[in-house]
Amino acid sequence: MAPVSEPTRDELQAMAYADGELPEAERPEFETRLAQDPALGRQVSEYLALAILARQVAPPEPMDHEWARLARDPLQRMGFGVGWLLLLFASFGIGGLGVYGIVGADMATPAKVVALALVGGFLSLLLVTLRGRLRTLPYDPYEKVQR
Amino acid sequence: MIITTTDAIPGREVEQVFGLVRGTTVRARHIGKDILALFKILVGGEVTEYTKLVAECREQAIDRMIAEARELGGDAVVGFRFATSEVAKAAAEVVAYGTAVKLK
Repeated sequence: MAPVSEPTRDELQAMAYADGELPEAERPEFETRLAQDPALGRQVSEYLALAILARQVAPPEPMDHEWARLARDPLQRMGFGVGWLLLLFASFGIGGLGVYGIVGADMATPAKVVALALVGGFLSLLLVTLRGRLRTLPYDPYEKVQR
Repeated sequence: MIITTTDAIPGREVEQVFGLVRGTTVRARHIGKDILALFKILVGGEVTEYTKLVAECREQAIDRMIAEARELGGDAVVGFRFATSEVAKAAAEVVAYGTAVKLK
């Protein structure tokens, strides 16, 4: 049997913070560290996720097991895989064709620049929003909530 | 933290009322889940993608309300309610609110 290690002070404080039980005197210092230490933030998020899951005491439903079985079914997996791959290919294709159409279109250069700026602007905003989401995802304990 | 929809907690006396506390959130799922949800809407049954979305909102709104109640020094929220509205298509908004109190 693997030895059970004692929780560190950070772990204890993170647990207490997630449960709202960190003493008032320790909170400012902990919150300052929380703002500076991404690893500590992820730890607090994990404890928050556990607390959220703990208060959802509903037992699994029969349909859950069938969904889980379906998720493992090769035909189902292949259907999803092929579907997403084709959609991704088509999305990039449409985007590429759109840009190609603008560049090769018979219109004045300023109009082309404006159209490409529009596409570039939307793409840039999409990418920074996606980057923000991916960066904050480990700190979002609600992602684990099912129902 | 005790959270109850009733205005009083049997066997406990309210020592101090801190007033309204609330937690709000608006969440959405990514477009991939929206596409899957669209197909489930076509064939019927539970749209689990949106069940999860609303559940995420509910839990986050509750947590934010609890955090506000704690900040005020409360140890219970009475008269707890949920409210929802539609801010944007495919996004869910949930407001959790109640009255923060300190119990004897």
